[in-house]
Amino acid sequence: MRNPLSAKPLSVEPQSVKPVATGNRTVRIVVLVLVAVVLLLAPLNLPPFANQTLVRIGVYAVAVLGLNIVMGYTGQVNLGQIFFVGLGAYVTAYGVKQGWNILLVFVLACLIAGVVGLLVALAAARLGGLAIAMVTIALPIVGVPLAKRLEGFTGGSQGISARFTDAPDWSGLYNDQWQYYIILLVTAAGFLLARNLVRGKYGRAFGVVKENEAVAASMGVSPYRTKVLAFTVASIFGGASGFLYLAAVQYTSPETLSFGHSISLLAAMVIGGAGSIAGSLIGGAYYVLVPLLTNAVDPGLTTVSQGAILLIVLFLLPEGLVSLPRVLRRITGRNRDRPGAPQRTVPAPAPGAGSEKQADQHQTEHQAIPDQTDQQQTIQHQTGRQDQA
Amino acid sequence: MGTFIQLVVDGLSTGSIYAALALAIVLVNQATGLINFAQGGLAVLSGYVAYAFVQAGLPLVVAIILAVALSFVLGALAERFLVRRFERGDPDTAVVVTIGLLTLITGIIAVIWSYNNLGFPSLFPLTSVDILGAVVSVRSLATTVTIVVIMVVLQLLFLRTKLGLALRAVADSPASSALSGLPVGRLLMVGWGLAAALGAVAGVLVAPQLTLTPGMLDTALVYALAAVILGGLSSPIGCVVAAWAIGVLENLVAVYVPFIGHDLKIAVPFALIFVILILRPQGLFGRKVVVRV
Amino acid sequence: MTLLELVDVTASYGPIQVIDGVSLSVPEGGAVGILGANGAGKTTTLRAISGTVRAGGTIRFAGRDIRGLRPDQVAALGIAHVPEGRGTLGQLSVRENLMVGAYLRKGRQAIAADVDYCLDLFPQLRDRIGSRAAALSGGEQQMLAVGRAFMARPRLLLLDEASLGLAPGTAKTVYEAIRRLRLESGIAMVVVEQNANLAFSLVDTATVLETGRTALTGTTAELKGMDEIRRAYLGG
Repeated sequence: MRNPLSAKPLSVEPQSVKPVATGNRTVRIVVLVLVAVVLLLAPLNLPPFANQTLVRIGVYAVAVLGLNIVMGYTGQVNLGQIFFVGLGAYVTAYGVKQGWNILLVFVLACLIAGVVGLLVALAAARLGGLAIAMVTIALPIVGVPLAKRLEGFTGGSQGISARFTDAPDWSGLYNDQWQYYIILLVTAAGFLLARNLVRGKYGRAFGVVKENEAVAASMGVSPYRTKVLAFTVASIFGGASGFLYLAAVQYTSPETLSFGHSISLLAAMVIGGAGSIAGSLIGGAYYVLVPLLTNAVDPGLTTVSQGAILLIVLFLLPEGLVSLPRVLRRITGRNRDRPGAPQRTVPAPAPGAGSEKQADQHQTEHQAIPDQTDQQQTIQHQTGRQDQA
Repeated sequence: MGTFIQLVVDGLSTGSIYAALALAIVLVNQATGLINFAQGGLAVLSGYVAYAFVQAGLPLVVAIILAVALSFVLGALAERFLVRRFERGDPDTAVVVTIGLLTLITGIIAVIWSYNNLGFPSLFPLTSVDILGAVVSVRSLATTVTIVVIMVVLQLLFLRTKLGLALRAVADSPASSALSGLPVGRLLMVGWGLAAALGAVAGVLVAPQLTLTPGMLDTALVYALAAVILGGLSSPIGCVVAAWAIGVLENLVAVYVPFIGHDLKIAVPFALIFVILILRPQGLFGRKVVVRV
Repeated sequence: MTLLELVDVTASYGPIQVIDGVSLSVPEGGAVGILGANGAGKTTTLRAISGTVRAGGTIRFAGRDIRGLRPDQVAALGIAHVPEGRGTLGQLSVRENLMVGAYLRKGRQAIAADVDYCLDLFPQLRDRIGSRAAALSGGEQQMLAVGRAFMARPRLLLLDEASLGLAPGTAKTVYEAIRRLRLESGIAMVVVEQNANLAFSLVDTATVLETGRTALTGTTAELKGMDEIRRAYLGG
């Protein structure tokens, strides 16, 4: 505590964060239960179109979530996520056509996407930053003509359709409601898994690799293996999203995995909030809702308004929509007492891996050497004497 | 043999278009460390601007020069008022900003000129000449020569002028360059402006062949990115050579390897990238970055 | 004849106040050292002067308030900052680095003469004039960084930890060259240095910073006479 510089942020944090956190817990549980109830009851009271929209949000939220794991959390640019969505969709369509058990189809959709992702990652993760981006660009670029070519599996340019999500009679539900529950189940499971993943040991490894690969290596975290893992997990989520896509749309074609869609997924991830689980859900909603909205306003202006919305959101919230509450709190908080108090505790995985530039600068400025305190003490003596003198 | 030469020259010509875009991408990447996905979109816009000038009755050459100059201004403004805010932040966000810019530009073009194809007059005569028994189009030759000239001029600019030195210094480290009094912001604008002007050249060169559509250069952008990675982000010459190689190779492969054909020829550069990057991660011509701590 | 004057300068990175009341004054042609423990705010003080961190208080250079100017504007007024970590431009050759230093100057011959002077000052660089800076050794990079700063022909040189990461012998060579530079060019200097022996070989007066404030200021001789300074900085 002798160094007031390092003591300052420490003393601020517990005071400002702790009471909020304990107050949050009960509030959070109540909110979670409420959300769960709403999510469960909603489809029974909503028109089919609304249900279908929610279903599509779930589909793309899973894809964005996967992208977030490899990009938002691990910092590896991936421009090919849509390829895995398409792959999952094709596997599902093929499996359903063959009359396989639907659970098996789901597992295969995830597994095949995961294996392909693993193979790509084994090669791509050797490369740094932009090279990975370029290798992943190739996936949808090559994927589309390939899907057209492999007619036996994909139905060529015509695409392939498969129905397997008609509501069974015993359920008494309409098809859109049944689909909703399937997708809610898979999406919720996916989000829970992802949340546990990024909060656990591997999540910390992702964070360190994103921050600094050299530091990661020095901590015994293999950047290569971590990147491969993140990429593979992302692909599995992509495959799952593909399965859901087919469950919702019941049809897929080469267009599903076009490069443009991959870019839109990326935009949705950043708009929602990179490195945020909740942001992935917002990203999925953005992906689905904004085209609906702009189309409704004026179909002739769809593209312009989409571009404009994207830029405006990023200008106002460079960290994505998920940062909106934080930004609002900062703005309202500025008028009150504490202007710069850190609102959010960043899960800093290790010393030297601070996640904000400020923290980094602070770090270099104050990197402690063992005998620092001794020196400090000496000087304090020194000044003490000077003052008296 | 005749077909072969024809394919090679045509490949060089399309490769030149990729090369111009690739150079633009490298310029921007060197200056600001980002990949500008809007590079193709800006180039298409230049094509439409030139088209508008021609419609207004200006001679083609004047229209093109004006369009290129306007593109320079537009690129510089895009850097200053759009990208600047994101340059120091998360690179992912910056990339998505350029994607937003691409969407916006495409949308604006569609609103003004619609999605319909528009014919664009060619700067070069549409005749052909006889080379070693092969019929080679003058336009292909002239396109290639134009890119070579531009590349030489750029190389001279970067290696022989004070502006070039300053641009390279800023590309290396903006913060450190500022300590020597370099006006970093203005230099970044110049970098983006040059890139946009280069893209504009690509746009007007390719427009007669493809006819103007808002998405005219989408595929070319992907090829250009492939060329950038193959050539190495730090090597302009490498990018041009890689772009040519891609143009020629895909032409040859499409014709001589029936299994691949015209639909899968786009896989060729990426297969190449994959193999080469595994063997040489810094690209064919790029330098390994040596960092001493 | 005060060239640079800092009065109660403050600076912070976000919410973290790093310097909080630094005052110092550098006469024309003078050299002032800044001593202090890690985290005392030495580097931040230099950054505040060169405009690379936002500062409060008063920073006056040659009679003009320079607080709030951009780094390139500060440089244009005649302040050259050799940052911590040297800041050489790795992909550029040694000669190009020096030419970047002279960016704001006109007059080819004068610049060429100064390049020669740099190579004379740091003979090691002569053989490596065409090499990329990233390929140089740490010592050579430091020499290049100082050379590049000199190429601007500044009135004031800000020198941050020029000995950091160098072998003792190399550090001494670098400081001897800087001393020579000071004698021959009369450039005023602010020198941040962990190694007080090296600092005292170069400066006339020094300021001791303690947790972001000026704690005391004295001439080299005065400071050397103080037990605590000797114990803390001079290893004896």
